Amino acid sequence: MEVLHYMGAGIGLGLAVIGAGLGIGKLATGMADGIARQPSAAAQITSAVNLPLFLLEGVAILAEVFCLLIVLLK
Amino acid sequence: MLLATAAPPAAVTGPGASAFGLVATLDAAQLEEPAEAGEPAHEAAGEEGGEGFDAGEVIIEHVANSSLEHPLIHLPTIAGIDFSVTKHVLMLWVVAGLLFVILTSAVKGYLRQDRLVPSGFMNGLEALVEYIRDEVAEPNVGHKWAKVWTPMLLTLFVFILGSNAIGMIPVFEVLSLANHWVVHASPDSFFGMVLHGGSTTTSNFNVTAGLAVVTFFAIILAGSKAHGAVQHWKNLVPHGVSPFLAVALIPIEILGMFVRPFALTMRLAANMTGGHIAILAILSFVFIFTEMAGQAVGMGVGLAVSIPLAVGISGLELIVIMVQAYVFTLLTAVFIGMAIHAHH
Repeated sequence: MEVLHYMGAGIGLGLAVIGAGLGIGKLATGMADGIARQPSAAAQITSAVNLPLFLLEGVAILAEVFCLLIVLLK
Repeated sequence: MLLATAAPPAAVTGPGASAFGLVATLDAAQLEEPAEAGEPAHEAAGEEGGEGFDAGEVIIEHVANSSLEHPLIHLPTIAGIDFSVTKHVLMLWVVAGLLFVILTSAVKGYLRQDRLVPSGFMNGLEALVEYIRDEVAEPNVGHKWAKVWTPMLLTLFVFILGSNAIGMIPVFEVLSLANHWVVHASPDSFFGMVLHGGSTTTSNFNVTAGLAVVTFFAIILAGSKAHGAVQHWKNLVPHGVSPFLAVALIPIEILGMFVRPFALTMRLAANMTGGHIAILAILSFVFIFTEMAGQAVGMGVGLAVSIPLAVGISGLELIVIMVQAYVFTLLTAVFIGMAIHAHH
């Protein structure tokens, strides 16, 4: 049974990373597209992308911390 | 296995300071566990270094706070709170003292000049202050309140940047070398204990929780100052929704109030701990391979894999320490701005 704990935490960690990777990738794509079309608005686009990026990172890190708790709280 | 043993990054600064009691109790639970469960696993797997070198232990020792039984300075317990100084508290003081001395001396020197044109370090400081004011405070908090909240944002930014950065400066490792070759201080003396310092205070959940508590009250204070104490709490629920929905929204909004500082806590602490664990795990390949296949292989792995990777991750960390300080400040500004510009 102990193995299942580690497996669950590991799989959860991987899923969180997949989700965060997809999200960050989408944001980066949108930002690159936007800047390519409108290079003069680069600063504005960057600052608009920053905030959701950090919130996304926060969600991913929360997921990772909870995976850690699964291991620790068994 | 490594993650499982390297898990508790969270030693406690003191029972009273433990805003994150959950991890504190985990710490105690974890201490006895790997001692018995970890050993057979090592022998069975035979990969982790076995008897001589335990990567997990070394990494925890570096990342976690020093234990309350062996603090750096013993101080009395007042009102149930142990005031003893552990290494994270010591680093907290070092950072605060360094920042106070450097910043005040720079500003004083600048004010003593005849013509008020900044030079040298003051240039950078002025650029920093202007950046936080114009790029972080003004767009988020708004022009009217920017002057009120910029000092707090600057304090948060400079302190977090300082304590993040001090973990990247190997002062204590150099001191350790000096101790190894020259001084030979006993491990129980103050100097011997200080050698284990040099870790980032912001990798301790209690420190970041304390910083997030500042944000938590700043949000409430900002809303109350802008709208009045009653209206701020009314603003939590959007206007114009049906009363049933409004009642249903109340618990969600209260939850959101606490989740924001919690996310700030976790983001900063986990980022700072993660970087250190990654660097140390990569560097411990050297010792693991030395024990597995002899010194030549260990040194080969070190030169070919560990050192280049560790240099790369250290470079990444240099970016991360700045980005995380910026993120904490930016999100604090955004949350304060949300409380002030409650348009619903």
